[in-house]
Amino acid sequence: MSRWIAKGLRSGVHTTRFPSAAATATAEEGAPSTVQVRWQGLTPAVALAASSLCPTAALSTSGAELAGELRFDAGACVLCGRCTREFPSAFTAVSDPRVAVQSRDHLRATFRWNEEKELAPVALQAEVAALERATSQLFRHSLHIRHVDAGSCNGCESELQMLSSPYVDLHRLGLFFTPTPRHADALLVTGVVTTNMKEALLDTYAAMPSPKLVIAAGACAISCGSFQGSPMSKGPLDQLLPVDAYIPGCPPTPQALLHGLLLAVGRARERYRAGEEELDGA
Amino acid sequence: MSGELQRLADAVGIQLEWRRQDEAYVRCSENAFQKTTSRLAARATLSDLFATNTPESPARLTAVLQAQGDPAWLLVTVELAEMAFASLTPDVHAASWYEREILEMHGLEPLGHPAPGPLRLHDWPNEHHPMRDQGDAVAELPQARRQARRPSVTGQGVFQLPLGPVRSGPQESAEFLFSSGGEDIVELDLRLGFKYRALERLAEGQTLAQALHLSERLAGTSAFANGLAFTLAAERALGVNISSASGHARSLLAELERLHSHFGTIGRLADTTGLLVAAAQYGLLKEEVLRACGRLTGHRYLRGVLRVGGMEVLPDAPARVWLQSRLKEWGARAERLRRLLEQTATFIDRLDTTAILHPDYALEHHLVGPVGRASKIDRDVRRDHPYAAYQTVDFDVPMVGDGDAEARFQIYAAELTQSFSILGQLLDNWPAADDGRVVIPRHAGSSLGWAESPGGETLHWLELDHDCRVVRWRARPASVVNWHPYAHACGSGNNLTDYPVIEASFSLSPAEFDR
Repeated sequence: MSRWIAKGLRSGVHTTRFPSAAATATAEEGAPSTVQVRWQGLTPAVALAASSLCPTAALSTSGAELAGELRFDAGACVLCGRCTREFPSAFTAVSDPRVAVQSRDHLRATFRWNEEKELAPVALQAEVAALERATSQLFRHSLHIRHVDAGSCNGCESELQMLSSPYVDLHRLGLFFTPTPRHADALLVTGVVTTNMKEALLDTYAAMPSPKLVIAAGACAISCGSFQGSPMSKGPLDQLLPVDAYIPGCPPTPQALLHGLLLAVGRARERYRAGEEELDGA
Repeated sequence: MSGELQRLADAVGIQLEWRRQDEAYVRCSENAFQKTTSRLAARATLSDLFATNTPESPARLTAVLQAQGDPAWLLVTVELAEMAFASLTPDVHAASWYEREILEMHGLEPLGHPAPGPLRLHDWPNEHHPMRDQGDAVAELPQARRQARRPSVTGQGVFQLPLGPVRSGPQESAEFLFSSGGEDIVELDLRLGFKYRALERLAEGQTLAQALHLSERLAGTSAFANGLAFTLAAERALGVNISSASGHARSLLAELERLHSHFGTIGRLADTTGLLVAAAQYGLLKEEVLRACGRLTGHRYLRGVLRVGGMEVLPDAPARVWLQSRLKEWGARAERLRRLLEQTATFIDRLDTTAILHPDYALEHHLVGPVGRASKIDRDVRRDHPYAAYQTVDFDVPMVGDGDAEARFQIYAAELTQSFSILGQLLDNWPAADDGRVVIPRHAGSSLGWAESPGGETLHWLELDHDCRVVRWRARPASVVNWHPYAHACGSGNNLTDYPVIEASFSLSPAEFDR
């Protein structure tokens, strides 16, 4: 046993400086967190071609080359890389892991073009009020998380397990997984909600004391992702439970998950907004 | 072509129809199917049994078999005239769960099956069959109602301990009902299917690109292997050859996937035995491999990298040099950790004689992968049916131990060593790049595809129409086979405290099983 202690001490500290030094930690995980549309580089032809490549509902178009629109939903993006590889001027990969948002609308953007093929983003009807929820402030210092796999592929679970690895080490931030819903402050849900898991999911939510948070992790929980149209899918999650934070990705990387958890408790701010340049302010 | 399969066919007295060099077919009459397949399966391995809806008859059954030492596959098919068939299970135990799946998904009754209960649909009314129901019937499937389960073990002092479907940590959903007299596991009643997403149904009518993306999302830690088996099936069905650089890249990434999956498995084993430092060390290794995958391909779980006819991303020369140095370091660290684990008595004591899966029992279930190899089932499609670039590398298929958790640990550790060796050989002999895009023909076709995922042999069957859209996609990942003997292994003289060790040592995925 002493040899293990020595081994542990010898290997030193590997933990990321995320989220305090987010900028330097950005490229650590080596893979993008989601995709962003650069509408200045977008043409109607590119929009139509890209949406035909997209395997999910992340990119969908209506209309034609003369007058139409492109709807982008980062919540459905499964990072297949087809649009970013084919049309790099219009679609870019986001390497910053801070992509979680508090409103589903922040993952959506629409771009419309007219007969002259002039393309412009469609403004959101009303800016969603800043979600400064009273509940989120309660959990600033410590958060106990109950995870429910409601029908994932095991990718999200694999990344959730990496949260406890020395590289991320979520305990240093006062975040803990708890086995019982009675002790849980937040429900972290992965996967499309399958017919068979719906009841267990709702039971778990009901067993948690109020106030409580719900976090949707991964494209499946946010939008049913790749499984939209499956006869067994009862999601997306926000049609069943009130969701406080959405973490896009397929699966979301450990740092993206961390940002989502911190966002849900008011310890991090939103950085990502679909169709817009990076939001400033950390 | 005069291999083991041909000799077997001669012995059974059937005529093989070779559609490809390594894919033979036998069309049976309804009367002959059960007898022929049983006789074949007595001397060969039953690797899959599935149903396909056909326009003319109610359905077609296909049994996939392979014989030790022959790189060819044998597919035995039968067109059913009625919604029932003679069960193989009384003669071939490995057919049991396949037949139960055929019954619940297609509504075809295996006559003579000893226990044909549902595996994934739980307590639903049995007139619903997701693979057969048309239109709204599928959408309006009733909600699963969880009914109290009647314990099959009763007696003084026997109690039931339920675990799941919502687990204690960030784990996959599955339900385990233990019957115990206090400490011992008398029986484990296993219930899967909570994550059934109807993947095969969803893929019907999809384009190749869409279905490929779906196959990569069948399971997370074997995403690449499943995508690879699907791609191979599509390429064989369409008669497409890939460049040797693509083949090398496929083998390279498949081995990287094995590295991160096995690091994760051994890390969980260490965690369940209370060795937190060891678990952390393996966690470091797993994260580093995932990051390397991300850096090489743009996706940590290697999704979106495969393309029918080649690869979307090929690692360039500087990346390969960088990977080579990383591999050297990982290999040395993994070897040191393995030695330390072997010298840690608390670790080995917990694993030794835990959850013994007797070789005879494993043989009856036609097991695959590390779980099978730890019980003396010498199967590995990388060696038996070479694909991608496995023909160009030398490697052993480790066979150690006699079926307990320690044997499984030894297999995982030994496979890591082999993977490092394979990766080194691939990088040393990288072929010159040729990025000529292969033109994908558009015609109907069907074929089998396969890959050795971290959990074992993964088989995909794909049938395409003239427009290259999916008519039938059958995915049989490793976990579909290896969950079968799991409950039995848990019940053989183990304690409840052994359970986490058992679960980690099997490393099975409910998502892979449920699909």
